Amino acid sequence: MTIRSDLITQLTTNLAAHSGFRVSSELPFDSAGQPLYQKNMKTVYLTEEQKEVTEHVPLLTGEIMQTETVVTGYLVTDAKNQPSDIDTVTSNVLLARTAISSTFDSSSSVETEIEDDRITYTFEYNFLKV
Amino acid sequence: MAYINTSAGDEAVVEIYNVSGASDTFDETAANVLTVPFMQDVTVNNSTGTFRFKTLDNGSESVVTTPATNQVSLNAIVDDSAFFGNAGGAGDVVQNGLFGTSNNKTKVGVRAYFDGTDSGSRYLEGVGYISGLAPTVNPDSPLWITPVTIEIDQELTSALVS
Repeated sequence: MTIRSDLITQLTTNLAAHSGFRVSSELPFDSAGQPLYQKNMKTVYLTEEQKEVTEHVPLLTGEIMQTETVVTGYLVTDAKNQPSDIDTVTSNVLLARTAISSTFDSSSSVETEIEDDRITYTFEYNFLKV
Repeated sequence: MAYINTSAGDEAVVEIYNVSGASDTFDETAANVLTVPFMQDVTVNNSTGTFRFKTLDNGSESVVTTPATNQVSLNAIVDDSAFFGNAGGAGDVVQNGLFGTSNNKTKVGVRAYFDGTDSGSRYLEGVGYISGLAPTVNPDSPLWITPVTIEIDQELTSALVS
């Protein structure tokens, strides 16, 4: 299991109680140059994992490495008629990071951008593992 | 004249030995030797004590030496087998690990190799007791790290790997 697939599993659970919201495991999520999250509102899409391996502890014989994994998620809703439970939805999407095990540090954040009558939520998950 | 380069393949190594007999003979059997893994740093301390005194006929202090304090100290990531012991291993030090050997107050031999263990490498050796274990961990680093001090009983001696 990858971090991305674990996140999808947890997001599916976390969003089960929110009517109309779902999670897609699709990759890539573009169609004719347009991201699918723009077309399929209320659906969370996750990018492939981006990884960076860096030194965690220097040793006299080499080093112990850490892996930072970043996954980005996208969700679009109607900006004029926001779902009443959108605050809980975004909280639950952010909370999905807690399902990832064996990390010594993890964080999640969300940024919003409004264009036309759509609001795009961009989630970023960061995980550090040794 | 040449500096000692501890680059890859010639790193500093600390080995801990069982000792026996009145002359503290090192048990050289390879399987009985504990090589400390995951070391971050090593310090060999040979601190000669001094006593200063003043006399009426001299404008400056005089000094005489007192016995030296000798130690080998290091910091290392805690390794399960090296710290807690390997019951299936050979020899007391390997079986009891750093903690068990310290807790039992067992006298050990120690060799601090300056540039690996190949022929021609220099090392300092002595006998003493493991002390100063203080494993610590914090949220920013999930790895247990411990200082280790081997308090040397009497002399450190230098030698070359033959």
